[in-house]
Amino acid sequence: MSDVALSVRDLKTFFYTNRRCNKAVNGVSFEIRKGKTLCVVGESGCGKSVTAAAIMQLLPTLSRIEDGSIVYHSDHGDIHIERLARNGSQMRAIRGAEISMIFQDPMTALNPVFTIGFQIAENLRYHTAMRGRQLRDKVVDLLRTMGIPLPERRAGEFPHQFSGGMRQRAMIAMAMACNPKILIADEPTTALDVTIQAQIFELMDRLKREHGTAIMLITHDMGVVAELADDVAVMYMGNIVEAGTVEEVLRHPVHPYTRALLTSMPVLGKGKNQSIEAIPGSTPDPFDRPPGCQFAPRCPYRVDACATMPAETHTTPTHRTMCWRYEELAADGA
Amino acid sequence: MLTYIIRRILIIVPMAVAVSFLIYLGLDLTPGDAVSHMLDPTRTVDPEKLAELRHALGLDSPLIVRYWIWLTGVLQGHFGYTLTGGVPISSLLVDRLPATLELSGTALILSTILGSILGTISALRRGSATDNVLTVVGMIGVSIPEFFFGLVAIVVFALNLNWLPVGGRLLPSYDSYWDHIPNLIMPALVLSIMMTAGVMRYARSSMLDALSREFIKTARSKGLPEWRVNLLHGFRVALTPVIVLVGFRLPILIGGSVIVEQVFQWPGLGNLFVSAVRNKDLPVVMTIALLSVVLVLTVSLIIDVLTAVIDPRVRLGA
Repeated sequence: MSDVALSVRDLKTFFYTNRRCNKAVNGVSFEIRKGKTLCVVGESGCGKSVTAAAIMQLLPTLSRIEDGSIVYHSDHGDIHIERLARNGSQMRAIRGAEISMIFQDPMTALNPVFTIGFQIAENLRYHTAMRGRQLRDKVVDLLRTMGIPLPERRAGEFPHQFSGGMRQRAMIAMAMACNPKILIADEPTTALDVTIQAQIFELMDRLKREHGTAIMLITHDMGVVAELADDVAVMYMGNIVEAGTVEEVLRHPVHPYTRALLTSMPVLGKGKNQSIEAIPGSTPDPFDRPPGCQFAPRCPYRVDACATMPAETHTTPTHRTMCWRYEELAADGA
Repeated sequence: MLTYIIRRILIIVPMAVAVSFLIYLGLDLTPGDAVSHMLDPTRTVDPEKLAELRHALGLDSPLIVRYWIWLTGVLQGHFGYTLTGGVPISSLLVDRLPATLELSGTALILSTILGSILGTISALRRGSATDNVLTVVGMIGVSIPEFFFGLVAIVVFALNLNWLPVGGRLLPSYDSYWDHIPNLIMPALVLSIMMTAGVMRYARSSMLDALSREFIKTARSKGLPEWRVNLLHGFRVALTPVIVLVGFRLPILIGGSVIVEQVFQWPGLGNLFVSAVRNKDLPVVMTIALLSVVLVLTVSLIIDVLTAVIDPRVRLGA
């Protein structure tokens, strides 16, 4: 267990709106390994972001962690995050210092009325003993590390004076300020240009190598997964339908949904006439879910057994899936 | 920014002139003049004498001429004399202006601070009993006219409980701000009720808007304590629209002070204004009107500069 930074066991997070319950995350288990990147992929609304928010205890007020455990393996022993008070002092000591997070849109995620330097320094002020000159130097140093030119001047500027890519770099500087063990990135490049995307991922990959930071990257881009991931978890309607190392999941996908995701994107070099298959149908209404396997109504391999929820089954010690027909599909090959 | 401020100050002059002309025109369109108000309606007066009096007061010249005489006088610093008593208007202003500034200023500061605090509390505890009570109280504050509050306050606190004086401002030999406080409490509170309620509702929605933004989540994700997330990151962003609102509400404060000064017999400009309008004392009405026009224009400039100072995204002069 020593190489695991965070383990999530059977996490259930439900939303309560208008007296109805949306089981946004319905029994999810995974581990984030130290110094490795875990990519969580899935369509919008599958529970990726909710899982991330649950780890940080940053869930909206109408939702709560219903069941399961989130254990952070700190240097000083294990901490059960789900047992901590939402905004209590213990949770705050972890946020920003041990586990930090960057968000989708760096424009709205930065406060428009404070300077970039101030917002980065805030993090250090609450988690370290740094003050004054030392604090300023550290902020400039962080900005420089993140590849922001003229960091001394840029620290005194406001978010609206930064370009999208520079803002996200500043966000990463803020998240990395206290050298956290885990960095959660919730679709960090969705709001950015494709060329900038590559730079941001390169930066994150470098930080992972240099600082040994474990990264949980939420994305819906399979190309990014192939590029960056060590481990992959594929989510669908609140469950992890398939998880394993990047090799296992991308080369030998066993779950029909993973396969569908992989065939739904074009591959460079295959020419213009390659068949890109869209997944038929759409995601079910979260308040009116299918009884068994959530993917069954859209699944080409559907059988009668799919009316009950399949259990999680390991095909190898690291590769697991939730599908009744995984053996046939595995034998069938990709 | 400096050139912008200078330009804005220069614009105030033509705007004040234009507005003052419109007011002059409007007053001229109302029936009667100062002379007709001086007369005892039960006696008949020789029309020739009336014409003589009108000529002496300069009321028989055409509108444009009268306006021009008034305007050139004001631009040279002469506000003229009251038509009814011949008192220099400038000395009236020296008497009355401090009283009004004292009242409106106190009410403005009171309502801004109180409104922001209550609105913030309301937003932070949204949906709670506190929020609901404040919402209802706010609605009452906005919808019930000030003179009613004033009269109720006089009946309760002055006549029945005997805690505070009924009205007036100065007792002989008491003339510092602190000496006025017992007299000031009721009119200032009554005057600030409506504005407090308005600021509170606005601060609440502005605060709720700020708290729903992504950067609040970022602030929380840094491990900052709740007070800092709400009051520094949230309130600071929510503050800008509130300040703009307070600026634009200032004319209401001046308008309200006319009524409140009447109710509490506060010897300010509002009181003077009402009697001047009744007597068709044009120079006095015009002077006070001009003063409020200049005040409103100046305040809107100050608000603009202040907005640029607190919100780095706003740049002046573009």
